Amino acid sequence: MTARLTAVVIALVAACREAPVEPCPSLRVAGIAAERAAPVARATPFDSAFAAAGAEFHVPPALLKAIGWVETRWEMVQGAEEFAGRAPAFGVMALRGTALERGAARAAVTPEAARRDPLANIRAAAALLDAFADEAAIDRSRTGQWSDVIARYSEIERPDGRAAYTREVDRALGGASPPLGQAPAAAPIACQPPPGSGGAPDYGPAVWRPSPNFNARPSDSTGRVHLLIIHTCESNYASCWSWLVNPASQASVHYVVSEDGDEISQLVHEGDRAWHIAATYDCTLNRRHDCWLNGVQSNDFTTGIEHAGFASQGSFPTSQIEASAALACDVTRDRGIPRDWQHIVGHGQLQPANRTDPGPNWPWTTYLHRVQALCGETVVDDSAPFNDPALAAAVVPDAWSASDSTPGYYGGGYRWASTQSDATDGAAFSFRLAAPASRAVDARWTSGTNRSPQAAYAVISSAGDTLALVRVDQRTGGGGWRALGTWAFPAGWNRVVLLRGGAAGSVVVADALRVRQ
Amino acid sequence: MPRVASVIALVTLVSNACGGHEPRETPRQSAAAARVSAPQDTSFAGTTAPVQRASRPGTPPRVLRGVTAASGPGYDRVVFEFAEDSVPGYHVEYTTKPVRRCGSGDPVTVAGAGKLVVRFEPAQAHDERGNSTIAERERTLGLPAAKDMKLICDFEGQVEWVLGVVAAGPYRVLDSPGGGRGGGRVVVDIRHHP
Repeated sequence: MTARLTAVVIALVAACREAPVEPCPSLRVAGIAAERAAPVARATPFDSAFAAAGAEFHVPPALLKAIGWVETRWEMVQGAEEFAGRAPAFGVMALRGTALERGAARAAVTPEAARRDPLANIRAAAALLDAFADEAAIDRSRTGQWSDVIARYSEIERPDGRAAYTREVDRALGGASPPLGQAPAAAPIACQPPPGSGGAPDYGPAVWRPSPNFNARPSDSTGRVHLLIIHTCESNYASCWSWLVNPASQASVHYVVSEDGDEISQLVHEGDRAWHIAATYDCTLNRRHDCWLNGVQSNDFTTGIEHAGFASQGSFPTSQIEASAALACDVTRDRGIPRDWQHIVGHGQLQPANRTDPGPNWPWTTYLHRVQALCGETVVDDSAPFNDPALAAAVVPDAWSASDSTPGYYGGGYRWASTQSDATDGAAFSFRLAAPASRAVDARWTSGTNRSPQAAYAVISSAGDTLALVRVDQRTGGGGWRALGTWAFPAGWNRVVLLRGGAAGSVVVADALRVRQ
Repeated sequence: MPRVASVIALVTLVSNACGGHEPRETPRQSAAAARVSAPQDTSFAGTTAPVQRASRPGTPPRVLRGVTAASGPGYDRVVFEFAEDSVPGYHVEYTTKPVRRCGSGDPVTVAGAGKLVVRFEPAQAHDERGNSTIAERERTLGLPAAKDMKLICDFEGQVEWVLGVVAAGPYRVLDSPGGGRGGGRVVVDIRHHP
């Protein structure tokens, strides 16, 4: 990073700190932003144009490049009129309307060239910034003053929207180091939520952008936060949250995660009822889970996470999934929501009539595994597709029948077998530890009157030592995690085996095992 | 009023409401609409069945920038105008179920005995800065067939209106592209109740 660019970054950081209406800045999800190079460090086909135009009009080339990244991700766009009164945007710099004409005139190119030709477009943008800088009478050697020019370039009227735009430019410049708002002197002031906003976010790293679109959850059991709903915005991040804080939208959500996961907005407190899912609950759409909630409006008992992007997209950025998983871990931990397939579900699953989000390519298995891992747990299902093969594996004898007829199972179903006094086989749930550790172990089954009252789980270390034999009554306690105990396990593949041996006349159910710190 | 004069009046009314020109409408899906030779035809049979047109996968959202309504001889017309030259997918259907806002799930009531739901996808009625792109999200129409209309969804790429109509009678759906400066339109004509 050049000295000048560094100065711009520092100045922008300082400018953001001083903004009186600035919401709590993102603390950034640990480790994610820092792992990636700043966008301006990447090569683009327009680098020479940024350099030349910057030199010609006395605008930092990195600033031009950063604005281009924020506006178009360095693509030559040919905009359509978005709505009456707002002119279409053109070129790498997304110039539009009178601003385009003014910049073009100042750069001595035609408006048409500024629309179609990348060099002319970038020169026109640089000339416009040059004009703004002149009019603001900024001292260009004191680069902190560029933030007002950047905000003016955005043409955004809302103060929080201007601040968000400026932060995006800062991020493009590599503002993650030092992260915005992390300077000790600024934090106490900068992190005050806006007046009347109703407080701070529930999730520490989130930016608090309160939406008026919420009401109270029911005070009875139907209002207990119970499910986490995964959405996609069908738009970009800024458009998503800025619309959902507008009272006209009559919609909201608790959280919005940006495209690359480096910022999360919280719009509604988790304890309040956000407006993100129209469907009334139908348990047949959710593995017949909690059918007593049938007919209850789903907003009453759910927390929603929107993700910038589209249900139709082919994949989701790893960093977005990671940030969302960290958030989901936090929400589920705070709200006592089990991290399984009935409690973390897609909007489209519960509202199939007119929603598909987050779409067919949301990486459900990876996502759920990350949520679990970040919360310190590993789940071993009876079925391989639901397991992380690096950490979990199950071996169930072929003779054990598969079923999903009793709800409350983990994954796609469970396996069962009749007890027999001389049987020696069992369903083995194995989990790998990288190092010796003490772990609590929970088992899961589905209950029924025909279940064994003495189902035996053998806890066996990677060295082959039987650490314990635990008996449970599977006639009750199904559909949730039931503690077997806590043991010190060696590194390697340890296992817990549900045995079939026992008095004939009942069945044992092998559903899943959970290992937690 | 003589027929010709009334047709001219209707065309003028709709043209004024929709930006000063009246592009040729292209009937979609509805067999009844396919037989219609001109939008001002007052004798279209219409349908009470769902009418829909799917959008291509991956199409970016279309931005609704205007909604107008007018009455002519034999039917009421509601025009949805988009900022782009093309229109989003749409699904138009009478419903007897409760109509709810897609965010809150709150029930929405409209005047009349029929509820015609008009859904666009992918679409939005707000801009990238979070500002609404249409002036009114609820309107009292007071027309012979169409009594009122309410926006019940502008969320996650769907825009959905419910039209309160006197009765669940025949309607048709037409669409037309814009003229190079946006203005793609979807038109819903609702026949007057006999």
